[in-house]
Amino acid sequence: MAVAEAAGRLAAPPPRRWWRSRTGLVLAIVVGMVIAFFGWRNQLVWPGSFTWNSLSHHLDSFQTWLSNNRNVPHPSVFFRAFNGLANFLDNLVGWLTSLFFKLTWAGTTALGVLVVLRFGGRRAALGTAAAFVSFAAMGLWESSMRTFALTLASVGFSLAIGLPLGVLAGRSNRFQRAITPVLDAMQIIPAFAYLMPIVILFSVGPGAAVVTTLIYAIPPAIRITALGIRGVPTNTVEAATALGATRMQTLLKVQLPLARRMLLLSVNQTILFALSMVVIAGLIGGQGLGDVVTSGLYSNPALAMLAGAAIVIMAIALDRSTEAMAIRTDPAHRHLTEGKQRRLRLYTLGCAVAVGLAVGLGHAFNAGSVWSRWTGQSWLLRQVQSALDFVQNPNTFIFHITNPIGNFIVRYGLEPLRSFFVEVPWPAMTFGLALIAFLLSGLRPAVVTIVMLSVIGVTNEWTSAMDTLSQVLVATVLTMIVGIPLGVWAAESARTRRVMRPILDVLQTLPQLVYIIPFIYLMPVSIVPGVIAGVLYASPVVIRLVEAGVREVSPHSVEAADAFGATRFQTLLKVKIPLAREAIMLGVNQGMIMVLAVVVIGGLVGSGALGYDVAQGLQQSLFGQGVLASLAILALGIALDRVTQGRRRRRLEDLA
Amino acid sequence: MKVRVGGLVVTALAVAVALTGGSAAAKSNACGTVTLNEQAWAGSTANTYVVKNVLEKSLGCKVNITKVAEVPVYQAMADGKTDAILEDWGHVPQWNQYVTKQKTVVRAGANGVTGVIGWYIPTYLMKQHPEFKTWKGLKGKETLFKSPESGSQGMFLGGDPSYQQKDKTLIKALGLNLKFVSVGAEPAQVARWEQLYKQKKPVLFYWYDPQYLNATYQLSQIQLPARFKGCLDDEKQGGDPKKYACAYPSYTLLKFMSKKFATSGSPAVGVVKRFSWSNADQNTVAKMIAGDHMNPDQAAQKWIAANKAKVNKWLGK
Repeated sequence: MAVAEAAGRLAAPPPRRWWRSRTGLVLAIVVGMVIAFFGWRNQLVWPGSFTWNSLSHHLDSFQTWLSNNRNVPHPSVFFRAFNGLANFLDNLVGWLTSLFFKLTWAGTTALGVLVVLRFGGRRAALGTAAAFVSFAAMGLWESSMRTFALTLASVGFSLAIGLPLGVLAGRSNRFQRAITPVLDAMQIIPAFAYLMPIVILFSVGPGAAVVTTLIYAIPPAIRITALGIRGVPTNTVEAATALGATRMQTLLKVQLPLARRMLLLSVNQTILFALSMVVIAGLIGGQGLGDVVTSGLYSNPALAMLAGAAIVIMAIALDRSTEAMAIRTDPAHRHLTEGKQRRLRLYTLGCAVAVGLAVGLGHAFNAGSVWSRWTGQSWLLRQVQSALDFVQNPNTFIFHITNPIGNFIVRYGLEPLRSFFVEVPWPAMTFGLALIAFLLSGLRPAVVTIVMLSVIGVTNEWTSAMDTLSQVLVATVLTMIVGIPLGVWAAESARTRRVMRPILDVLQTLPQLVYIIPFIYLMPVSIVPGVIAGVLYASPVVIRLVEAGVREVSPHSVEAADAFGATRFQTLLKVKIPLAREAIMLGVNQGMIMVLAVVVIGGLVGSGALGYDVAQGLQQSLFGQGVLASLAILALGIALDRVTQGRRRRRLEDLA
Repeated sequence: MKVRVGGLVVTALAVAVALTGGSAAAKSNACGTVTLNEQAWAGSTANTYVVKNVLEKSLGCKVNITKVAEVPVYQAMADGKTDAILEDWGHVPQWNQYVTKQKTVVRAGANGVTGVIGWYIPTYLMKQHPEFKTWKGLKGKETLFKSPESGSQGMFLGGDPSYQQKDKTLIKALGLNLKFVSVGAEPAQVARWEQLYKQKKPVLFYWYDPQYLNATYQLSQIQLPARFKGCLDDEKQGGDPKKYACAYPSYTLLKFMSKKFATSGSPAVGVVKRFSWSNADQNTVAKMIAGDHMNPDQAAQKWIAANKAKVNKWLGK
């Protein structure tokens, strides 16, 4: 089968003319829209008679109702249940935090390093040790441990819920179809929009922070696990069934082990997503490094950078250790003899004693206060501050290069594009986009596009949504241009992978505001910082998924192509990439979702529009405004997703 | 094998017992634990840490600091997770909901600081164009403030989305050829006007006092039309733009406490109620924290040492 596939792709390329005419049609539609823009500019905005203006007020009343019924002396069972869950999570995180504090720095470091050493090997243990030392050296030990406790709880629950659901989605097409829109919503709707209801239901504190993080971190766990399960070759599963394996046996002994690499990616992404929520979690009492970043942005940007670095270090250390432990405990590689097992147990006992000693030493020397006297924090802050002073100085040569570039891009590129989207007559925009959707993906996506745009118009979000759409399109296109080639390159070259991996980890977890605010000093214009934030946050996801997909392509297909005399490039272009199509399309989908997820951050650095409305909605308790702006973001996401994924979905359904 | 596993378990248990037994004895004092909330900006850090240090040093309280955002903090107080906030900029919907209706939060008086919001330009620009003293002087000269985003109009830099502002409507009401450009959160807005200030270029922006940067940069306020009866400030209310054509009101910054804390009988309640200081005081401490990057506790202690008389008033002495 693999041979036939490879042969088919090499022998008969799709007819060129058909593509050309479709692209031509799309271009014609765009030209039509541009003509409409110049002809009827700003004259046909979404008619007020089609809008439901009081929706915002209804939503505000709902939140008030929720709050009033929550804060009575005897709340109903509904609220008591949420209260109970919140208390459970608060206590769990609180218990973990006080455990770390009671163990002192010495004890916690010893425990962490020795656990990783025992289960993960020397290299991972060294990394863990470096991480713990860096937290203390930056003077951020307490905050780091609070965040660590929060992360452990969030990642633990995310995986506990996400992995099984992901397996289910991998095995059942119906479940996957049902759950995908829910996952899209969970990832696209900005946390800012549902922060207040979460606070009302779960109060303020680590519990609410865990719930907020869960909502964001579970979808990647589910999606990537499902992708991994589906990636297991059907012949292998058939062979297992032929040998008499039950469904559970097939799952546990065939599918999961073969999906191992994807499962590891799933764990990695869950960790990174959970840590990227640390700052938002801080707004509702998550405590820890998120708080340091937020107040640092206003009073001490250098400290915010240090806290950001701590978050990144924690992410990388956690990811590398879990990966090392997963690899070490791989049953395929286990070969412990009786003697080795006995020695290992003795070794573990020794470790426990060592930890106990470390704790004792820690208490004896009151390691907490020792570290606060000897931390390198002031020195580090001075270094970072001088770097920041250089960046913020408009008299440097860098500024004289970046400032004009930024002004040019906005004046002649982004601002005209924004005007086009906002001021084009709404019929031209709606039907133009719908026609393009029809051409690219089919009838159903076109209908979805019309519905979504109507929702945006009816909720009175047309202007802001079109503004955001112009920026999101630019950011998404740039992300694909950057991400897909880099992903393919990473799949082909192990060295590129090694170099890129820490960079991608940093980009996924470093709080965006920490690096975007200094960037604004270099390019003081609107829109550009938001777009850059989107591209930098979304590309790593695209790169990783594309890389994983291309690497997973069956080696038999590659061999077959080789046998036919294909060069490496031909194999890549005609065999690997088409066979990795599903992973690449998931990469496109996730990349676009990540760009939308960063719209609120964009609003905080000058992108305005929906992002700003959502942020303002939370901070000024305008629940209705926040929800409607978020729904508009979600509507844009669904429309864009259906347009890009439309044809692929139909194929999957045909197979079901 | 079993013996070794057992040994491991015993060691683990011993460590656990040692940990649980090793908690420090609780300080027996009349005050107990107090939780104050600190907002992101330096002014809030200033007043929170000054009160924290007064409570710790003079009353022996243990003070925790939460950093919950301005609106969710009311729910935190209602739940007793936060005891007091020391700076509120007029969140009337929350007052109605939590203070008036639910009675889970109570007022604790004013903190002595008056918030002033307005339109600001750099002082060097004011010197070049003395007509900018009032808003009327801007008419016809708006293109001075052009930026890449504002096209042919002048740019007005809007404030942080969490701050009270009505500039979009105000610009319309005054008939000025300005484009309202929202540049995001305060650090982003500061980045924009700081860069223009350092290049000695014109810039017109939303700004306020108390703010620690006012001690670093020379800024002048533009006079907006005087306030009249029926003047509106909340853009969400909609209506005739002309009703918004007045200057911002001055905000008396208020303190709030959770009902639980207020009725607890703790000596800290009195200190929080009596805490009061001036704009200049807050800006001084805020500048030490954000401008000179001093540790907040150190900055607070420095100010307390130099202002013993005021602190004694808060302690009721």
